[in-house]
Amino acid sequence: MADVVKAGSNGVETVTLTIDGVEVTAPKGALLIRVAEQLGIEIPRFCDHPLLAPAGACRQCLVEVEGQRKPVASCTQTVADGMVVKTQLTSPVAKKAQAGIMELLLINHPLDCPMCDKGGECPLQNQAMSTGRTDTRFHDHKREYPKPVAISTQVLLDRERCVLCQRCTRFSDEIAGDRFIDLMDRSAAEQIGVYRDDAFSGDHPRSAIDEPGYEQETAEPGDEPFNSYFSGNTVQICPVGALTGTQYRFRARPFDLVSSPSVCEHCSAGCAQRTDHRRGKVMRRLAGDDPAVNEEWNCDKGRWGFRYATASDRITNPMVRREDGELHEASWSEALEMAAEGLRNARDGAYGVGVLTGGRLTVEDAYAYAKFARVALRTNDIDFRARPLSNEEADFLGSTVVGGTDVTYADVDAASAAVVVGLEPEEECPILFLRLRKAYRKGGFAVTAVAPFLSRGFTKLDAALVEAVPGGEADLLRDDPRVAETLRAPGALLIVGERLATVPGGLSAAAELAARTGAKLAWVPRRAGDRGAVDAGCLPNLLPGGRPVIEATARAELAGIWDLEAGIIPSRPGRSTDQMVADAAVGRLGALVVAGVDPADLADPRLAEQALDNVGFLVSLEVRRSAVSRRADVVFPVAPVVEKAGSFVDWEGRLRTFDRVLTTTAMTDARVLDAIAAQLGVALGTGDVNAVRRELGGLPATRADRIEPPRVSGIGAARPGDGEAVLATWHHLIDLSRLLEGDEYLAGTARVPVVRLGKVLAERLGVAEGDPVTVGTERGALTLPAAITELPDGVVWVPTNSPGATVRRTLGVTAGAVVKVSAGAPAGPILASGGSR
Amino acid sequence: MSATAVTVPRREVLEKLTPVLTKRWLSPDAWRIDVYERLDGYAALRKALAAHPDALIQLIKDSGLRGRGGAGFPTGLKWGFIPQNDGKPHYLVVNADEGEPGTCKDLPLMMHDPHSLVEGVIIAAYAIRADRAYIYIRGEAVHAARRLRNAVKEAYAAGYLGRNILGSGFDLDLVVHSGAGAYICGEETALLDSLEGFRGQPRLRPPFPATHGLYASPTVVNNVGTISSVPYIVLGGAAWWKTMGTEKSSGPMIYSLSGRIANPGQYECSLGITLRELIELAGGMQPGHSLRFWTPGGSSTPLLTAEHLDVPLDFEGVAAAGSILGTTATQIFSDQDCPVYATYRWLEFYYHESCGKCTPCREGNYWMVRVYRRILSGQGTYEDLDTLLDTCDNILGRAFCGLGDGATSPVTSSLKYFKQDYLDYIEGRTAPKLSDKALVGAH
Amino acid sequence: MGAVTDSVKGFGVTFSHLFRKVVTTDYPFEQPKTAPRYHGRHILNRHPDGLEKCIGCELCAWACPADAIYVQGGDNTDEQRFSPGERYASVYQINYARCIFCGLCIEACPTRSLTMSNEYELARDNRRDLIFTKEQLLAPLLPGMEHPPHPMRLGDSEKDYYVGALTNPGTSAGAERAPWSQQHTADGSGSAGELS
Repeated sequence: MADVVKAGSNGVETVTLTIDGVEVTAPKGALLIRVAEQLGIEIPRFCDHPLLAPAGACRQCLVEVEGQRKPVASCTQTVADGMVVKTQLTSPVAKKAQAGIMELLLINHPLDCPMCDKGGECPLQNQAMSTGRTDTRFHDHKREYPKPVAISTQVLLDRERCVLCQRCTRFSDEIAGDRFIDLMDRSAAEQIGVYRDDAFSGDHPRSAIDEPGYEQETAEPGDEPFNSYFSGNTVQICPVGALTGTQYRFRARPFDLVSSPSVCEHCSAGCAQRTDHRRGKVMRRLAGDDPAVNEEWNCDKGRWGFRYATASDRITNPMVRREDGELHEASWSEALEMAAEGLRNARDGAYGVGVLTGGRLTVEDAYAYAKFARVALRTNDIDFRARPLSNEEADFLGSTVVGGTDVTYADVDAASAAVVVGLEPEEECPILFLRLRKAYRKGGFAVTAVAPFLSRGFTKLDAALVEAVPGGEADLLRDDPRVAETLRAPGALLIVGERLATVPGGLSAAAELAARTGAKLAWVPRRAGDRGAVDAGCLPNLLPGGRPVIEATARAELAGIWDLEAGIIPSRPGRSTDQMVADAAVGRLGALVVAGVDPADLADPRLAEQALDNVGFLVSLEVRRSAVSRRADVVFPVAPVVEKAGSFVDWEGRLRTFDRVLTTTAMTDARVLDAIAAQLGVALGTGDVNAVRRELGGLPATRADRIEPPRVSGIGAARPGDGEAVLATWHHLIDLSRLLEGDEYLAGTARVPVVRLGKVLAERLGVAEGDPVTVGTERGALTLPAAITELPDGVVWVPTNSPGATVRRTLGVTAGAVVKVSAGAPAGPILASGGSR
Repeated sequence: MSATAVTVPRREVLEKLTPVLTKRWLSPDAWRIDVYERLDGYAALRKALAAHPDALIQLIKDSGLRGRGGAGFPTGLKWGFIPQNDGKPHYLVVNADEGEPGTCKDLPLMMHDPHSLVEGVIIAAYAIRADRAYIYIRGEAVHAARRLRNAVKEAYAAGYLGRNILGSGFDLDLVVHSGAGAYICGEETALLDSLEGFRGQPRLRPPFPATHGLYASPTVVNNVGTISSVPYIVLGGAAWWKTMGTEKSSGPMIYSLSGRIANPGQYECSLGITLRELIELAGGMQPGHSLRFWTPGGSSTPLLTAEHLDVPLDFEGVAAAGSILGTTATQIFSDQDCPVYATYRWLEFYYHESCGKCTPCREGNYWMVRVYRRILSGQGTYEDLDTLLDTCDNILGRAFCGLGDGATSPVTSSLKYFKQDYLDYIEGRTAPKLSDKALVGAH
Repeated sequence: MGAVTDSVKGFGVTFSHLFRKVVTTDYPFEQPKTAPRYHGRHILNRHPDGLEKCIGCELCAWACPADAIYVQGGDNTDEQRFSPGERYASVYQINYARCIFCGLCIEACPTRSLTMSNEYELARDNRRDLIFTKEQLLAPLLPGMEHPPHPMRLGDSEKDYYVGALTNPGTSAGAERAPWSQQHTADGSGSAGELS
């Protein structure tokens, strides 16, 4: 007797049934097809997907159940006690039924497998081989459709290949909540389609149901395209080649690809991925199957945003600035020598060396930077935060976040309520959004958003809004009874985003609120390397392993592990990114070592560039030429994620380890730092990723006291005057990110940048939906079409870094600042609108 | 049946007519509330509202009333499935989406006697404790919908609908909803989806409408004929109702006769009458025609032939003859009609009306139509006949809902009784009925 | 005695060969004629209007036991059309340092684009030259053919190219024997019917 579950184990009710003569015990309510699968009996299927609700549409999985008059679709049938099931293996009826369905599915399917992107990994192809006939009995015209139709810039639809299993529409509806695609028409003319402007007006040539060669629709301007952030998943779960990705179209055949497991480098969700490559080049990426993290999904950014690594501005050799003031390619030894000399001089000089690591590093590389700064540069001036930040945040990270794994995706699944502050999950951590949505759809879970308005993502979560003017979140967290009441429920979560750092007192209030209500607190940063950098000690107040700089015990522990003399690790916290930038801009920083940081992401890009220009000596470790490498004295090429092994730590604190996908000569940051350190006479020991992992794994838990949680009181939201408003802003998922450059198909599905403003403000300005609105500061102004939204009066929202809306560069401010708002485009010349890199 | 001139039915056959639901049809203006009230209208409602709802359900159970929409499910049992005191709203939905080829019993009822339906709805809703009822009427039946809406308006005005009906404390709102012209919406779960504003496609069962119907609440879906029978049962009692029909198929039934008969129309008789008697009631076959084949209950029921003239037309009798009583729409075809062509036309209907959700119905019907076109244009092969039968086998019982199953009925039954007609096309003895333009292409 | 008789014997062997049929050939001045189905270098055939038959499906590369074939698919557009249908081979290479001339690629080809000629003079003096590119492999343009990219001339859809292709002899007639073997034109037209 086979046990799919141990009877009675952990209180699961079970039933016992027989499948193909094998008695099996399975959990009550399980689907027959799944139980059979666990016995190793593979029933062919198309519409069935374990993460989607049963549909029973394709009828391919028919089996015979004793006592049932008709064959039963095993994907919709739950198991019952005493049920006797015969699959195609033992029942001629089931075998015949499956063969019959397969024949019907294949009649109209085109024979273009040789050129279809799915060919070679196609469930229809495979199951046609196992279940289908060898010849056809129907010799009439197939139904023809123009192919392919671009339902978005990145997804192509071939309706001839479609078997109408509705996996894509069900995914979009159930999982993503984006009903951009749906079934259109009926009968044999039924097809998947996007919504059309004139769908109900009637003058569009609708598909005639009847004759071959009939008039067919193609996507037209004005149609609502499939601009979901999760559309790539439909391509992956399509059991035929009906939905294909534009980027991968005709690029390779599956049998020619090498598949390597990998981890997404974009956001802090930590998605498992499969990277398919051929001859040293990544062809595509797919969502990996990791039930604990991303289940089987990923977002389009993770799926299609990987071409940055092969961009033409990739740095392949070290470069040094010679006497002519220009960067020249140089040998490694020359560059290392020069970097070491410059860093040594600065270290031993008056102002020291700072290290900016950015949020894109693996935890191994981050650790190397942290160690390099302390051991080779003897400084705590290291900060990974390449964004608006606060000292309060550093204390919060050191007290509440570092090392913690309190909240996981499973906790989200099981949660009864969540309060989300300073985070727009769909834009900033899409897989967390999917989990929140899953919990919401399951029922018994309520989301409360502390935000200026209900974004599309929050709407899809049916979230309750606690209206917050940017800057006022701290007060709401402290005083709002709705928030506290929600969090008192058992299993409630308080999810804060990195943006809360820009609200004085926000993180203090969050930590205090969580402690007061007993809710679990999760901090969700935006970048993949952020959380790992906290744990690895890329902060001015934290050493690796969550050791506070100010604690002598902590310093002594590390000195012991690193075999250092006492006093090498400075006992005072270092400078934060903002302080380093400010100091460098006025020449009070001897040198800077900068990893993947884009100055445009910093709170004040103009000041940051000034800092890079004025710093005494600049070492840049970069994958591609950037605003930093252009200004650097020494530039080292480093490997992009796909060319190195490493680990990310996702927002849960879960280690996501991956191996090198492509073998190239590119070196990790850690190895380059090891070489620089060697020139400085320091054995860093980070030349090999396994060595770093051993060292990291060997770090004992600290006995030092944790940093005290911050106790900063809020100052409340700013009060805008006449013609002014408080700025709210966050990133769109698909924006002007450096990691999305070169992915033009992906960029086509980005959300349209708009200025969101409330009805009252719009009326006061006299603007209607779509009219240009200008948001400006002393520094510059940007003009975007208006989107009238339910916003608190006196608040405007613009995307942070989208085309035409580079808030930090153009306006020089961030959320919570007071900006000028006016109707129309500015009268004078537009200053730096749109921005540039 | 011989081909003779129009005949007058004999007296003993005439006595087989049992006008109950049709009794007001010939009264002028019976669709108006004052006329209806004069003709016993809303008397049953008063009686029903005085009774306990459970007693009404028991009454219907006792009467043996079975669904008039085709499946013949016992109505009282269906009402009894509705969970009571569950805190959810209950709904009554009347399926007036009459679209089965040959079926035309509900539309004349709603045209001539709409108030009997309204009255039935109120009683039924009272019995199942629903405070909201919908009549989902076929989109094309604009005339009937108009008359029904008028009747509902009159009923509201007279206090039969709305708050505190006739002082009983019972509230009911009745909405007449027109469909958008899809046969599939006659399937009860597709009807519910359509009513909710979604694409009309059948839902997965379980859960059944009795617990998760309209807006996921307990819902009874009944045919027009079923609901209209309720007032008569309430007035006449279960025993009286059972005096008509057979033991297991009680009550009267409206038989819709069409085709090659002298007087097509609705004939309400006790369940269990034979086609021979019905044809006699209808004045015999049209001159020059003799019966060749017929459908007992719409095109989804397997064809019967002249051999089956004496089959009792009740649920059990027709089943014994290898067909289904269905909607008692008897379409009568003569020796001058071609069973192959008739089947082709029916199949065209099913292929056109398939919702497209499941593979067998969507693809099977479409491709069978292609095969029929080939046969009818003189290009059929012997293999085509096997293909048709095998395809029917692949559809029947494999489709998501009954539409696909129904579509195979004419094909299998016509191949069973009239294979020679097919062979005549294939072997060239019958002239092609369709031209052969562009029939054969590549694959 | 042995020495004398042995030398005579040895001369006898030589002498006897003077009267046998000569086995050496006058290659390269006179090129031996191969069997008609000899597996020589590959040809990428064309449709009668000059469009490429290859659709870049990589099935030949998949079938290849020696991993000698590299194909990269590309997307035909209305402006830049190389083959009928959606897909064409933007890169097509056969590495003759690896090719074992087994012909499995020919069997795998779904459009009969890839066939083999009788040409065997494939020696090169460096490895790089042994990688034949698409330009080298493509059949020459016969009269009436037009150099791609160009629109479909034989119909509105790729179907017009494939349906009836078996009875359409013109598709690659003569390709085996044409350009590299102009010296064989004496009977070059003989086995053209093998293709199509």
